[in-house]
Amino acid sequence: MIEQERKRGKVLIATIAAAIASACLLILLFSKDFAGSLYLFFIAPLANSYYLGNLMASMVPLIVAGLGVAFAFESRNFNLGGEGQIYAGALAATLVALLLPESPALGVQLLSCAAAAAAGGLIGAFSGMLKRRLGVDELISSFLASSLIVLLVDYMVTGPLQDPASNFQTTRAIAPATAFAKIFLPSSLSIGIFVALIVSLAGKAVMDKTRFGFELKLCGANGEFAHYAGIDSGRYTLIPMALSGALHGLAGSLMIFGSYYRVMRGFSSGIGWSAIAVSLIAKNNPLALIPAAAFYSYLDSGAKSVMMGSDVSSEIVAIVQAVIFLLITASRLPFIKAFAPKKGGSE
Amino acid sequence: MNRLGTAGMLAGNAIAAMTPLIFASMGGLFTELAGMLNIALEGLILVGAFFAIVIASATQSLFAGFIAGSLAAMILAWVYGAATIRLKANIFVTGLAANIFASGLTVVLSNQWFGTKGVIALKAPELTRPFVGTLGGIPFLGQALFSHNIFSYLSWICVIATWIIIHKTPAGIRMRATGANAEAVAASGFKPNAYRLQAIVMSGFFCGMAGASLSLPLAAYVPNMSAGRGWIALVAIYLGARKPGRIAIACFVFAFAESYSNYAQGLFRIPSEFMLAIPYAATLIALLAASLAERARRVNR
Repeated sequence: MIEQERKRGKVLIATIAAAIASACLLILLFSKDFAGSLYLFFIAPLANSYYLGNLMASMVPLIVAGLGVAFAFESRNFNLGGEGQIYAGALAATLVALLLPESPALGVQLLSCAAAAAAGGLIGAFSGMLKRRLGVDELISSFLASSLIVLLVDYMVTGPLQDPASNFQTTRAIAPATAFAKIFLPSSLSIGIFVALIVSLAGKAVMDKTRFGFELKLCGANGEFAHYAGIDSGRYTLIPMALSGALHGLAGSLMIFGSYYRVMRGFSSGIGWSAIAVSLIAKNNPLALIPAAAFYSYLDSGAKSVMMGSDVSSEIVAIVQAVIFLLITASRLPFIKAFAPKKGGSE
Repeated sequence: MNRLGTAGMLAGNAIAAMTPLIFASMGGLFTELAGMLNIALEGLILVGAFFAIVIASATQSLFAGFIAGSLAAMILAWVYGAATIRLKANIFVTGLAANIFASGLTVVLSNQWFGTKGVIALKAPELTRPFVGTLGGIPFLGQALFSHNIFSYLSWICVIATWIIIHKTPAGIRMRATGANAEAVAASGFKPNAYRLQAIVMSGFFCGMAGASLSLPLAAYVPNMSAGRGWIALVAIYLGARKPGRIAIACFVFAFAESYSNYAQGLFRIPSEFMLAIPYAATLIALLAASLAERARRVNR
């Protein structure tokens, strides 16, 4: 057990090292001003309070959606529909907030977040239900459903719900009074970060201290054993998928109330995939999602800062993300084998 | 246009749209038979499409583009396969890696080389349409079957070739055996992992062709031009019960949905988002219908 933990730690360190190395390599390849771009990538995101606050603000959806990924992964379900669930959640939250312009802020926020969670949860539950009832692979169905939803939300944002007063492809903005309070001006960091921290604590409690969490992990670790132990394993497909979708939806609503105030076409694009990376780095541990999200946001804001300040496009972060995905679940490492303790040694 | 002409055009468009789906699903079939669900098809197609047209335009040789597209997809497939098999990483997560890498790399390179993240229109020689001058003149059949470029006919040959490879060659039979019972393969003195990696690289080759068949006829690269075809191919493999001929039929059904909706858009002015959504909706509905039918059959038995 300890051996395994140590191995996982090594894989994690190797993955992060490879991610940082590949970022440097990409900048070296694509930038004319290597040192300048390196500064923009690694130092600039931390250099002033504006960037730092925005970096922390971008952790919010990653933590919450990352928890959604973790609940699905822990029960051995793969929710690849995060993109659509976040986007749909954001739209649901915005719609509710637009329908209740004169209401007290807290009420609007609670109702909107609930609507967002319900929207995401329904989409997740759809895939969970298909797997439970018909044995349809949740990986494929969640991806297809999400792709469909993304296009439908795109249509809503640019069609019936388009803000007539704006030249951009966006809905109307929610009433300023209903947005989350800012805590670190001039950055967009809001009290949403506390919501994310509370959600991750609650996730930890549910996963480790409740019967639900225990049975969910049992089903994930060994479905057959769980079945013979009398656990309804179908239930632990449906509920984790629904919960996963709900958390993704919630993440979308937190983005609206914290930083964006309106649904712009494609504004949350990529967050669903990033949340998967964050959850994998955190090994599905709800509390570890916080540093994992911080690391990921750091990379992401580095890439954005490089794009704004130099000649490299911010999509290099996608390549870095791919490196993380490629290595993070490895259970063998090619280059550091020499350091591993010999098998069958004198232990 | 008369009715027969319209029907010929619709059938012809569907058969043209079927081409990349056939390549991709034949590629995915190898990995499926070797016991792996390959979600990287999408990214492999994209990389193939990008390098095929970029190299074809740079060398003014379609053949060079074709080779470059296939090779690029095979290299990415090898990396994906090596991480999955040699490093024993989770195949779904490494599959995501391949997809995200493909969409990131193509944007970065197109920005670097062409200064745009949008559509890149390039000059490349025109693809041969081998039967247009001769059999293409036949009413209906000419439009439906003989108006296509060389890739369509190549894809039909691939269906037959795939059947032969998986049923008649030792490597193909062992690949299938790996999926059915890897321990038995190992006990017979063969290496299951070698066949798994081989299947993944094969899927890369076929997806590279799928990509080339998208970008070369268009003489352009469109961001994310794979547009879900890798996922549709996976569903086609499932609906086709892992048999090359039936998979080709499933591909035709999806291709028909796609091309018919393009035709309908011209008539009814449907918003473009709905048009783009139709392949996903059709795939999801087909998946649902097939699973319901499967369950009904099981209950009746």
